[in-house]
Amino acid sequence: MARSTRTKKGQGQKKRQLIADVNKHSPITEQYRNIRTNIEYSAIDTDIHSLLITSAGPGEGKSTTASNLAVVMGQNGQRVLLIDADMRKPTAHYTFSLMNTHGLTNVLTRQQKLVDVAQETSIENVSLLTCGPVPPNPAELLNSKMMEIVIKEACENFDMVIIDTPPVMAVADAQILSSKVDGTIIVTSSGKTDRDQLEQTKGNLVKAKANILGVVLNNKPIDQNTYYYYQ
Amino acid sequence: MEETISLKEIFQTLKQRWKLLVAIPLLAMLAGTLVSVFVLTPKYERSAELLIYQAGTEEGVTQNDVRTSLELVGTYTQIIKSPRILNDVIENGNLDYSLSTLQNMVSVTNQNNSQVLLVTVEADKPEEATAIVNEISTVFEAQIPDILSTDNVTILSEAVVGENPSPSSPNTILNMAIAFVVGLMGAVGLAFLLEYLDTTVKSEKDIEKILNLPVLGVVSTMDAVEPARKSS
Repeated sequence: MARSTRTKKGQGQKKRQLIADVNKHSPITEQYRNIRTNIEYSAIDTDIHSLLITSAGPGEGKSTTASNLAVVMGQNGQRVLLIDADMRKPTAHYTFSLMNTHGLTNVLTRQQKLVDVAQETSIENVSLLTCGPVPPNPAELLNSKMMEIVIKEACENFDMVIIDTPPVMAVADAQILSSKVDGTIIVTSSGKTDRDQLEQTKGNLVKAKANILGVVLNNKPIDQNTYYYYQ
Repeated sequence: MEETISLKEIFQTLKQRWKLLVAIPLLAMLAGTLVSVFVLTPKYERSAELLIYQAGTEEGVTQNDVRTSLELVGTYTQIIKSPRILNDVIENGNLDYSLSTLQNMVSVTNQNNSQVLLVTVEADKPEEATAIVNEISTVFEAQIPDILSTDNVTILSEAVVGENPSPSSPNTILNMAIAFVVGLMGAVGLAFLLEYLDTTVKSEKDIEKILNLPVLGVVSTMDAVEPARKSS
């Protein structure tokens, strides 16, 4: 079982690192903790229990950010549920080396219950709800009343729910979901994300009445002087 | 769109693309050198000197004679390149050149108002250049009495082939220098063009400027930090 996921990962998928788990003291992990803290502080009046991670285009680091954030939050003692709502290209099960036979789609179509489908991961306090069988109509599924119920139920069972979504510029999924969660985070990739697209992304999310907490800047080339000095 | 560019930003742009700024001029220089050495056929220049000298009367050279000679120098410069002379040269030397080609090969200069005309011919071979320039001198000397009815041209020095003739053109060093400078200018232009065309987000500042949203965190490229993983 584990073998099949590994080979699949080796073939098509670019290796996605759970650096927050592998190297707890790296500057990158430190940054994820920083993001975690900033999220906590950005909630002034309301507690943030559900988070949506999206970006303008594909490959800018949504899934990496989502899973590493889940890990650092889990390390902080919070019970975290990571939901892979990227039904176009689910990847979270590769990252955590888990099966994707049952997942979000099964819950949304009322075949199974959330508590039964959410899987424990190898990381303490972190559970994963994989995407499940890829459905033909992701947008409709995510827009359903059931999705709201699922998020609500997840929030009751976990301290923090992190939802990984497809890019905003490609499909409407993230926009649809963004109104159902407490906070939205936009992931950008330095040297990759286009300014106009980023502006449009923000516009789309604002239109969908999303509560945008802020932006994570990914893939910034390291300045030799700024890192390491603390180690 | 209104954009203000500070000196620091310009410097930053150039620094970011320093590889471009080094590589392009060097490549251009290399290309210039290769073209100079292998593509361009070397040309050889040979010169002969003609003295325009009004023999005058028995009283010796008067001021007047000198002035007349100087005035003639300009005329002679034209005459040397005229078809009347050069056609004869082509005929006598059985040259394979057309009149206009030959005219382009010949240059006549006169330095500092002197009475000496310097006739220079540039050709593919030093022997050929020497032969042509000497033929021109001879034909010109012979023709002048017919044309102006004064016999006042003397060949001051003939061209010689010389040992180990070195080509006058292409000037490899000069071409290299030109290529380097042109390459550098092109590289700077390209660096700014790329910077202008690059509409991607780069830093926290960009994000705050464009989106007016807080930056929650900055994650550097993972591969770059990988070595640290082993030590922990």
